[in-house]
Amino acid sequence: MKDKYYIQGMSAISPQHTFEKDPFSQPLVTVQENVFACVEPDYRAYMPPNSIRRMTRILKVGLTTALQCIQNAGITIPGAIVTGTGKGSLSDTERFLKEIREYKETALNATPFIQSTYNAVNGLIALQQKCTQYNNTFVHRGFSFENALLDSMLLISEGNKDILVGAFEEITAEHFYIKSRIGFWKKEKIASDQLYAHPTPGTISGEGAAFFVLSDTPSEVELAGLKMVYKPKASYLEKFLASKNIRLEDIDLVISGRNGDSNFDHYYDGLPKELPFKHLSGEYDTAGAFALWLGAQILKAQQVPANWFPMVKVPTGPFKNILIYNHFFGEQHVYMLLTLNTGYRK
Amino acid sequence: MVTAIGDDVAGNLKSLRRQQSGVGFSQHIDTIYKDVLPAAEVRHATVTLQGMAGVAGKDGYTRTTLLGLIAMREALADAGIATASEEPTGFINASTVGGMCDTEKVYFDVINPEKEGDFLQYIDTLDCADCTQRIADTVGIDEYIATISTACSSSANALMFGARLIKAGLVRRVICGGTEALTRFTLNGFNSLKNIDKQHCRPFDQTRNGLNLGEGAAYLVLESESLVKERNASVKAELKGYANTNEAFHPTAPSPEGDGAFAAMQQALAMGGVAPENVQYVNVHGTATISNDLAEGHALQRLFGDKVPPFSSTKPFTGHALAAAGGIEAIYAVLAIQHSIIFPNLHFSQKMEELNITPETQLKEGVPVSNVISNSFGFGGNNASLLISKYEG
Repeated sequence: MKDKYYIQGMSAISPQHTFEKDPFSQPLVTVQENVFACVEPDYRAYMPPNSIRRMTRILKVGLTTALQCIQNAGITIPGAIVTGTGKGSLSDTERFLKEIREYKETALNATPFIQSTYNAVNGLIALQQKCTQYNNTFVHRGFSFENALLDSMLLISEGNKDILVGAFEEITAEHFYIKSRIGFWKKEKIASDQLYAHPTPGTISGEGAAFFVLSDTPSEVELAGLKMVYKPKASYLEKFLASKNIRLEDIDLVISGRNGDSNFDHYYDGLPKELPFKHLSGEYDTAGAFALWLGAQILKAQQVPANWFPMVKVPTGPFKNILIYNHFFGEQHVYMLLTLNTGYRK
Repeated sequence: MVTAIGDDVAGNLKSLRRQQSGVGFSQHIDTIYKDVLPAAEVRHATVTLQGMAGVAGKDGYTRTTLLGLIAMREALADAGIATASEEPTGFINASTVGGMCDTEKVYFDVINPEKEGDFLQYIDTLDCADCTQRIADTVGIDEYIATISTACSSSANALMFGARLIKAGLVRRVICGGTEALTRFTLNGFNSLKNIDKQHCRPFDQTRNGLNLGEGAAYLVLESESLVKERNASVKAELKGYANTNEAFHPTAPSPEGDGAFAAMQQALAMGGVAPENVQYVNVHGTATISNDLAEGHALQRLFGDKVPPFSSTKPFTGHALAAAGGIEAIYAVLAIQHSIIFPNLHFSQKMEELNITPETQLKEGVPVSNVISNSFGFGGNNASLLISKYEG
């Protein structure tokens, strides 16, 4: 794993206007109901009308993000397709469960079953782009996207190029309720931009998709490190930095997964130059993909969009090294290091 | 491993040799198809599995987790690993529907605000990570944890990912495979696709009419050569080649010519540096669906020409255990090499008219087997082939 990995293109559909051409100039979207929903684009540019009708929401969100990412990277057929999703298409899973009950197991429509399969989005991307190469889907909560990313890095080290790697996640009203029964969300309703001012048990929920094309061809943004740490007994931060030969002082920005949950936010305490992002995306299994998108955008723009962060003191650039540290309800902890490839900049 | 034909590897081998199928009718799932659609169920009730998994009386373990834990404990013991945490170890698991087997029973209580009760502890078991983490936590694995879900090729992909982690030098030991419990959800899913036969499945037969679902779990301990030598471990076989390709053809059907299957097998052989004529046995995916066997058969003929080696589907024994199938069949490939044995394809009688080839129908003992291809193909066009070879040390 001594190779270099560069982001060639990226795309995100999220609760913010990230799919627009100039995302950082877009206004901040806030919610009051403790649950975010994606700002969905006009799908007609990406798929035929019958697909738009037939496909459920997260399939459209995932497929569209992937297709736009491929376009942004200037490629047509990726060298491999690797995704992560914690829950897949929840809408389809819920619908099939209900139809089994409602129709007493007879005359069922197979579509929700097929679409509930976790690798359905991967299959659709492969089909649409005629990509017959390596194709894999990871489904492991806060390690779903990150395992996909690790797989992509391995693929590049093994000699492959232009790996499409991404994540997609959906929240439904029903699943929001289910998780509320085991304390995932705050009991009190808060405005999403006040998230960090409410250190109480639980957080706010979200969803989104983000895709990247990763290759060893130099570009502006280098993915310089990735480490997953499962249920750590002590902070892994110093070990991670040491493994990358970098000091904490050399980190210009730490994008943190802080989410206002008093049960788990202590992991983020003491981080310097901290920039939390969950007031933009909400919490979900693959929120790490949103963080990577945000970090890469900040590196490219050399600025943090101040209008998205009215509640924090926004660090000013220049930004060379950005550390991302995120965990999912205290179990899956992830460190990512992004570095500006100054030699590439004109 | 645990399947409908045995609670461990020895039990599976015994049933394979006796040509005893595990396909019957389900005792444990709540469905109107209980006595209509055959399935290969692990015969024990979930409470019995708790004891076998060493967690008797402990709540919160789904059937998926328990099957996995039973297989994991056997894999560790068989590899001579007393304490998993002694060596930084990865666990790459595979699952198609996680703990659906248990959550589907309580789901409508879970979404009903009027209902309270013990079922709440199963809320978080629906996803695929739950079983992986419970198994990992119980035996003390924490270095690399992942769950893969690519439908029926899931555990073959888990083996591949694990092998690649070792090759990249990230870890020296990875335990890979998958676990799957029968569910009403999956049974109805495949039935709505008209993919389930009301009779015993008949892979590669002209009259085949679909699959029988199965359940089980299987894990293989992969180690780097350096670790093997360091601890003087006995090596059962080598994972010499593998490939993952995509059909890019249709969400649930392969291309009739078997393009993805052909490419997967060909690339696996190329990686292992093994010529087609040196393959002694192919454990085919062979689900007995109309489209799979046609595509896979064409792929075999394209790859091997008129010298197709003995091949068989062992799914008439175990049913199609989806995410566990690749792991189960990888172990069968190892058994074929260890015991010089080729397993029969049960219930075959009539050659497919589109093909020139027929599967092996007899149990063959005393046949030297050095290279086995194991195929796993799935929804989303996911194809995976493994080349498992005799270890020449």
